[in-house]
Amino acid sequence: MNLTIPDGQFVVIVGLSGAGKSTLLRCINRLVEPTEGQILADGVDITRLGEAELRAWRTKVGMIFQNFNLVNRSTVLRNVLAGRLGHTGTLRSLLGLFPRSDVELALRCLERVQLRDKAFSRADQLSGGQKQRVAIARALCQEPKILLADEPVASLDPPTSHLIMQDLKRICREDGLTVLVNLHFIDLAVEYADRIIGLRAGEVVFDGPVSDVTEKTFEEIYGCSIRPDDFRGRGDR
Amino acid sequence: MSALARRSGTLVAALALVALYVWAIVGLELRGVNLAERWHQAAAIFRIMVTEPEWTYLWKCGSAGCVSELGQKILETLQMALVGTTIGAVLAVPFGFLAARNVAGVRGSRAGKFILNAIRAFPEVVLALMLLKAVGLGPFAGVLTMGIHSIGMLGKLYAEVVEGIDRDVLEAMAACGANRSQAIAFGILPQVLPEFASFAIYRFEINVRAAAILGMVGAGGIGTPLIFAVNNRDWGRIGVILLGIIVVVAAVDAVSSYLRRKLV
Repeated sequence: MNLTIPDGQFVVIVGLSGAGKSTLLRCINRLVEPTEGQILADGVDITRLGEAELRAWRTKVGMIFQNFNLVNRSTVLRNVLAGRLGHTGTLRSLLGLFPRSDVELALRCLERVQLRDKAFSRADQLSGGQKQRVAIARALCQEPKILLADEPVASLDPPTSHLIMQDLKRICREDGLTVLVNLHFIDLAVEYADRIIGLRAGEVVFDGPVSDVTEKTFEEIYGCSIRPDDFRGRGDR
Repeated sequence: MSALARRSGTLVAALALVALYVWAIVGLELRGVNLAERWHQAAAIFRIMVTEPEWTYLWKCGSAGCVSELGQKILETLQMALVGTTIGAVLAVPFGFLAARNVAGVRGSRAGKFILNAIRAFPEVVLALMLLKAVGLGPFAGVLTMGIHSIGMLGKLYAEVVEGIDRDVLEAMAACGANRSQAIAFGILPQVLPEFASFAIYRFEINVRAAAILGMVGAGGIGTPLIFAVNNRDWGRIGVILLGIIVVVAAVDAVSSYLRRKLV
């Protein structure tokens, strides 16, 4: 496959599970090692970075996950501060001595997801939507240029899904972030994307602005007719 | 299967069980014991322990003030258990990680668990006798014994905790640009430390009880006066010492289960 993603675009990648959406996303920060090919960012081939360079690259790429991947027994603030680890010396971070500016940044990130007042709660006391917001704050705390979101709303109910997508879209617009989101809900993809990339069995089968997308496009991407399951719906808000 | 066949199957199993017990008891040669005739001797000893305990060992006031020899020895026992358990609980951490399948791999884990089992296979008393040769009589030998022996059990329990951690968090840490030690400190330690601490407290409880045995070979603590009293057939003093051990073990048990509930 061959894709070019301009700065500041909000891209939604759709496809059945197993189509390679997660693999595509994880190749970008090399949580999955690509077997061949190149990934260029500002002219640098990501696939050739050494260990230290890779960590430096990863600080510029925030990521959020389907299952939030928070440390449940740690406080919300400490979870968000983990976003600063790539910017902080090992000894300093092991002792928990984050610079005051980092703590202030973490609190600001929490404020942007409306969770400033939960900073000192344990992560496992939060609801699913709140956990995903903390994960967004952690990613923002890295001060990234790119944000990867792997099925960010698959574990959430419909109203919460929309709230999270709205937050994601708003924040990324404000910061001018480039965003790649994996989704399999058609209505969410159409509502929030600038551009939609359809994957099937590891191949790009559709790539275009959201205005070009019809139900037929999704039938082609999914290789079958659309079912009600493929829509998130609004839920009752 | 018919009812008859089922019943005869049960019968065969019952006969086999009876045969097993007969084999074990005959093999042990449990004969020559005239329990009916000698029973009153054991009962007399028990009566002395219960009815004539040597209270002055617990509390004695003289011209130089009041002392509690029992209390001193019990405090020494608790101090030994505290220091010994702490040494073991800390040293067990690297063993725990190295014996965990998801850290060391299947073969590394097998090697790590073999070492831990070997440590546990050493009876505490044997270990204590070896260390007594090295450091001499007294509580230091007991502390070292507890420290080393605790590694065997705690290392194995720690490894199981490490094997149960949520690996997805590590993925998130890597995605933040964290290096390996940062990922462990932020992603793994918060998951495992409360459970490590809980097991260490449980081991403290075990070590308090073990101290009674260790003292009997001269490694300090409450076991030392206990073995002297046993050698002198001083049943009144033994009664007081055992009472002290029971009270302390029950108290430690209560405190430890309270702490462990708070932790996890």
